[in-house]
Amino acid sequence: MDHYDIVVVGAGNAGLSAALHCAVEGKKVLLIEQHNLPGGCATSFRRGRFEFEPSLHELCDIGSADDPAEIRQMMMDYGVEVDWKEVPDCFRIITKYSDGSPMDVSMPFGCENFIDKMEYYVPGSRAKMEEYFELLNETMAGTAYISNSNGHADSNVLKEKYPNLLRTGAYPVSKVWKAMGMPQKCCDIMSTYWGYLGVDMDRMAFIHYCNMFMKYVLRAAYIPAHTSHEISNAMVERLRELGADIWYNCRAEEFLFDGDQLCGVRTSCGTVTCDYALANINPDIIYAKMVPKELIPEREKKLSAARGKNYSARMFTVYVGLNKTAEELGIKDYCIFMADTSGSVQEYKNILGGYDRNNFSIFLCNNIVNPDCSPAGTSMGFFTSMGNREEWSDLSPEDYVAYKNKYAKKFIRMLKERAGIDIEPYIEEICVATPWTFARYLGTPEGSVYGYETAEWDAMMARMMMLNEDYPIKGLRPIGAAGPRGDGYSSAYVCGRLMARLALRDLKEERR
Amino acid sequence: MAIKVKVGLIGALDMLKFKNMAKVRENVIQAAPANEITADYAINNHAKALHPDFQELVIDKVIEHEGAGAKTFLMRSKDGGPLAYFRAGQYLSLKLAIGGSSVSRPYSISSAPKDALKGVVSVTVRSNPGGFAAGYMLDEFKEGDAVLSSGPQGNFYYEPLRDPEHIVALAGGSGITPFLSMAQAIADGTEDFDLTILFGSRTRENILFKEELDELAAKCSKIHVVHVLSDEKADGFENGFITADLIRKYAKAPYSVFVCGPEAMYKFLVGELDKLGLPKKNIRCEMLGVTKKIAEHDGFPVEAKGKTFAIKVRQGAAEYDIKASAEEPILVAVERAGITAPSRCRSGECGWCRSKVLSGTYFAPAENENRRWADVRWDYIHPCATFPTSDMVIEVPAEYVPK
Repeated sequence: MDHYDIVVVGAGNAGLSAALHCAVEGKKVLLIEQHNLPGGCATSFRRGRFEFEPSLHELCDIGSADDPAEIRQMMMDYGVEVDWKEVPDCFRIITKYSDGSPMDVSMPFGCENFIDKMEYYVPGSRAKMEEYFELLNETMAGTAYISNSNGHADSNVLKEKYPNLLRTGAYPVSKVWKAMGMPQKCCDIMSTYWGYLGVDMDRMAFIHYCNMFMKYVLRAAYIPAHTSHEISNAMVERLRELGADIWYNCRAEEFLFDGDQLCGVRTSCGTVTCDYALANINPDIIYAKMVPKELIPEREKKLSAARGKNYSARMFTVYVGLNKTAEELGIKDYCIFMADTSGSVQEYKNILGGYDRNNFSIFLCNNIVNPDCSPAGTSMGFFTSMGNREEWSDLSPEDYVAYKNKYAKKFIRMLKERAGIDIEPYIEEICVATPWTFARYLGTPEGSVYGYETAEWDAMMARMMMLNEDYPIKGLRPIGAAGPRGDGYSSAYVCGRLMARLALRDLKEERR
Repeated sequence: MAIKVKVGLIGALDMLKFKNMAKVRENVIQAAPANEITADYAINNHAKALHPDFQELVIDKVIEHEGAGAKTFLMRSKDGGPLAYFRAGQYLSLKLAIGGSSVSRPYSISSAPKDALKGVVSVTVRSNPGGFAAGYMLDEFKEGDAVLSSGPQGNFYYEPLRDPEHIVALAGGSGITPFLSMAQAIADGTEDFDLTILFGSRTRENILFKEELDELAAKCSKIHVVHVLSDEKADGFENGFITADLIRKYAKAPYSVFVCGPEAMYKFLVGELDKLGLPKKNIRCEMLGVTKKIAEHDGFPVEAKGKTFAIKVRQGAAEYDIKASAEEPILVAVERAGITAPSRCRSGECGWCRSKVLSGTYFAPAENENRRWADVRWDYIHPCATFPTSDMVIEVPAEYVPK
């Protein structure tokens, strides 16, 4: 068999991005994928006359064609073309303010628009919001500087140019809001996105939240015209053009070493030799099952223990193909968040409280962004929520369908009761995916899709600062949601490229 | 206006805190114990049990259906443990090594989901003219033989979130098997819906599972079985074909129609179902495979008729040169060459066999078209329902098999 410079294990977002970066740099690349489809979460599936988007809500960091943001630019650099469709608004959220009064607000994209709309909902908030956006801008610029320094940011530059980043960066979001005197109702509204990072505002690092929030508000959000499978397939196509090999239905079983240096991968399709492996696999699984025990450094064991298997976001989704149009059903918003409270700390607890307490779900209707995504006279969408470890661990196969359907029904009814949208009689296709589904398909621990919770001590910035300390095994780096950039579609693309860059740097140093 | 945000009392300390983020993280890491790392998760184990790569089975008993030209194979798990739980109506794809070929065939499970937990599952195979795999199984399969199967597959099942409480099943011949499983699931309390089976057979002698069905109907008020005989008139039996009028006679609105039977029955039913004016969501058909007379298909390119093409098949690092008839699905040629390729439904629906076309042309009949948009865009095919119309180079994924 041929020798490869780089073997990338797992064709999820990070794997595709890493493989493309290496291939663009002229490396001989093999990408192996356990399924016969690329993308991991970024895929699609067919039921009847519908093709469903399984996971993507909205991709940030795309920007317009004239003014591309990081991900659009990255795809352009890779030579990958995607038909991006712009999402109309940030979100609509139906819940309660912290004081218990009802909240039903829709927030637009764009800094000015966002501030204007906030002033409408929370009169008198304008000055504070303007100040807040100034802080967000500085924080975002500072983060970009740190990200591009590969773990070697100059503290003098940071102090001079981004002092507010330094002053707020180590704190959780709620503390920064409190310090600024942000009106509570503004905090309540801006808490909406917490679910996208899977950590409540008392524990979510401000810097992490800020980056995501700003990417959405400033640069709007996009989805591909033909599901995430369009992105993943386009990336694979480009990989082929660049001469990379892709083996589907191929599982990595073990990483092979010559001394302490990785030299190959044993796969279900045979053994492959290589100089470097980038593994889109949770590090706990890599260390527990795929690397010789004696090669695992003490610090890595400690890192795993410190994280304590605190995996984030065990997803629960309900996909619906409807035999009426969005207009006929009265669906006007692309994205409706529904929650019992806007208080993220309480809502996170509710979600982890299992069926009886979990009333959190996000309903998306793809046709609002892309009217032609389903056949004429129909529409499609999906609900997203999360599940706790216990309820999905203790369930038996006999009770599985009834339990997941009970959940699905609750969210379908919630949409009717809270948003006045009754889809129940019009369901032509329905598919309920649970943490079991994601565990089976992705192979991630407990079906979580966000890697380790990016809370407090282990938040994005702290991880980024320790790029050169974590995962010291020679020739092997984990990539993906468990990586330094944390979870999310765009983060995974960025993480894949970042880790590929580090791998190429390692290879260069080794040659010297 | 330059802002200055302080979270703590003294901004300089906040900066220090930021600078110390890495140190704080390192302290947390160093304070943790250096335990062995494990990765065993209940959720993942459940998922694996529900969706195994394959199931190793042993034939326990062969039941011959006199007059119906069919046999039921009762199978148990090789290791004696439970088999994957399933939804009544789903199928297994059996992997067979016949001569030098490695072929798969989908069979609806005729046993109850609960039996799977006891490690038992059964399928019924009926002879069909020219049926290569069916003939092999009917002739060769005997007690004690090992059979390799997929996990449960398919979407042909009752879904309470979507379907009305009354299902009218239209079955023909061995198409009764998914409904037999559903009826057992209703009788034992696994499923809760009202099932009326209109079962088409030629004569009384041909009726598959007659005793079992009548027994289930007698035992459970939610199950009704109406035998429809095409070639015989008899008291207590409907005569003729399953028509719209017959469906109306037995259906209680609102209802959905579930169809499983031979190709001729589907063709006849198209017009009958139209007369009922049911919305699409209330008609669900089990997959049928691909037409055997592709050369007569409207869209089939006449110039390809009767031709044989050379196909280069890449699979991982391996490469094979095979011959393929224009009138057979590409998957058949791949299997005949002894290549172990993935496949499940053999109807173009599930996409398990999804493969990349690197060069060449092909014909994919519209009634089996279930490819994703981006797969059509970038020339991926489902070889089980795609016919070559030129020489080709294709990339076929590997298949998981026991080691």
